[in-house]
Amino acid sequence: MQSITLKNVRPRVFEDEDLSLSQVWDTDLVFTRGQTYVVEAPSGTGKSSLCAYIYGNRRDYTGHIRFDDRDISTITPGEWQKLRRTELAYLPQELDLFPELTAMQNLCLKNDLTGHLPHSRLREWMEALGLADRMDFPVGKMSIGQQQRVAIIRSICQPFSFLLIDEPVSHLDARNNALAAEIIMTEARRQNAAVIATSVGNRIGIPTDTELHL
Amino acid sequence: MKKILRHLLHRNLSAAQLIGFVLSNFTGLAIVILGVQFFVDARPIWDDEESFIRKDYLVINKRITAANTLGREASNFTPAEIKDLGEQPWVRRVGEFTSANYRIYASVNTGGHSMSTYMFLESIPTSFIDVAGTDWEFHPGDKSVPIIISKDYLSLYNFGFASTVGMPTVSESAIKSIPLTLAIRPDNGRAPLDMEAHIVGFSNRLNTILVPESFMTWSNATYGEGPTPPPSRLIVDVSSPGDVKINEYLEAHGLEVAGDKSGSQASFLVNVIAGVALMVGILITVLSFFILLLSVSLIMQKNRQKIHSLIMLGVELSDISGVYVRIVAGVNLLAFLLAIGGMLLLRGSYLPSLQGMGGAAGNVLPSLAVGALLTLLLIVFNVISIRRRVSRAFLN
Repeated sequence: MQSITLKNVRPRVFEDEDLSLSQVWDTDLVFTRGQTYVVEAPSGTGKSSLCAYIYGNRRDYTGHIRFDDRDISTITPGEWQKLRRTELAYLPQELDLFPELTAMQNLCLKNDLTGHLPHSRLREWMEALGLADRMDFPVGKMSIGQQQRVAIIRSICQPFSFLLIDEPVSHLDARNNALAAEIIMTEARRQNAAVIATSVGNRIGIPTDTELHL
Repeated sequence: MKKILRHLLHRNLSAAQLIGFVLSNFTGLAIVILGVQFFVDARPIWDDEESFIRKDYLVINKRITAANTLGREASNFTPAEIKDLGEQPWVRRVGEFTSANYRIYASVNTGGHSMSTYMFLESIPTSFIDVAGTDWEFHPGDKSVPIIISKDYLSLYNFGFASTVGMPTVSESAIKSIPLTLAIRPDNGRAPLDMEAHIVGFSNRLNTILVPESFMTWSNATYGEGPTPPPSRLIVDVSSPGDVKINEYLEAHGLEVAGDKSGSQASFLVNVIAGVALMVGILITVLSFFILLLSVSLIMQKNRQKIHSLIMLGVELSDISGVYVRIVAGVNLLAFLLAIGGMLLLRGSYLPSLQGMGGAAGNVLPSLAVGALLTLLLIVFNVISIRRRVSRAFLN
């Protein structure tokens, strides 16, 4: 997959609002593979909606979203599942980890869908993000900051062309932010993938090719 | 991955609910397959020995009352009466009993002992008799004639006569091999004739001594005196033996059905009981199906967020539903196996007494097939419901 195109996309909840200042809604926008994007906006303007529309788990919008030349409204559930394993990586704002599983189990659940990375790599990343002693710890008993780091690692342990990260560092300090940014960018460059990150201010420290305002 | 998936989705499973389902489904299935099995095993009791007279043939005669005891004509059917009967909507065809119109004696000679008795013969149209092969045939000039006698005669001999005068009792197969001699003693001046006879069968429902129609036609023409008397009994092929109109008609015309009526009543009762048992069993099975459906739905509802999160990760929908399908198939199969065990156990306890009544250990395949079919249906319906629920968790 080389590009994601938004054509006149507008959340249904914003049907009657003036969106003329938005650089994303109700306009033509192309996300290209290999580029990095940061979508900067205050709360409640639809950052998470944008991710959910592209990731296919919400459809409450008007307009069209295309993966290359294909309108995503024609993609079947089976095809979505394959895309989510091989093309689209996603870190949701609510993390969506399984609290009863350990950190490593959470990572393996995702990684073993494709067998993308050796488990040693997952451990390296855990150690790099200061979670060496939390690998076999139930995620439900971790702090939000720790959970966020586990979720960041989980989002990249798969092959992908586009990585959607929804407020990925909202609970991280500057040091961990930088460490996470480095891991994400290394993996994205290795796969020549695009990174689309959203932010309400606490922005992830990745080099930004394009900054967009909602 | 599959292991972690199962670990995740097996949470919230209630062992009590599953045990409740297995028990109720076991009860339902056990009743169903036991009902079917009992039906199969008990069948020979009323199907016994009547292979040559179909069940929907009725033998009818006029009721003997004080008013018609004296006159012979009163118990005979007139051509008009036969025609009227034949025109009833529930009648397929009517056959007449033809009596021998000459004197006849039968004798048995068993190594020195000889018994002889005056007797009578009757015949009915060959198309009403269903004897395999060429046993039921006679051609003028043949040395031997096949006969079918009432089972009651054998019982009378075995339990009434033989036991009181010290004669040996005989089984059905033994009596078939005893040579009988029929002695025709005509009054019309023809020379007497002795011929052999052999018993080819016993009937519960024909209280007579039956010979082939061809023998009767030939012997009446050759040795009979005067015209053949009109029939006093008719055999009727009816389209639906349970029809109330039949009884109404017979009642109105002073007719009665001969033969073993208790057999058909017993068969009716067994049919009703088996039917009721089957319905109760199916009802319990259906209810237990809903118990399982509800408990699986409940678990899936509790796990809805988890299922959605798994879908967000890109886990195949079939892998997610597979976890629940395996549980459902497992408990259904367990219930089925338990039901088979229960059926075989109970069958072991009723079979000896059933065999004493003339039943037999029948084929177990029909009951197992019914049980397997029900189990399969339950699994299929549950799988459909599970898949639907998983698909519904696809969107937020």
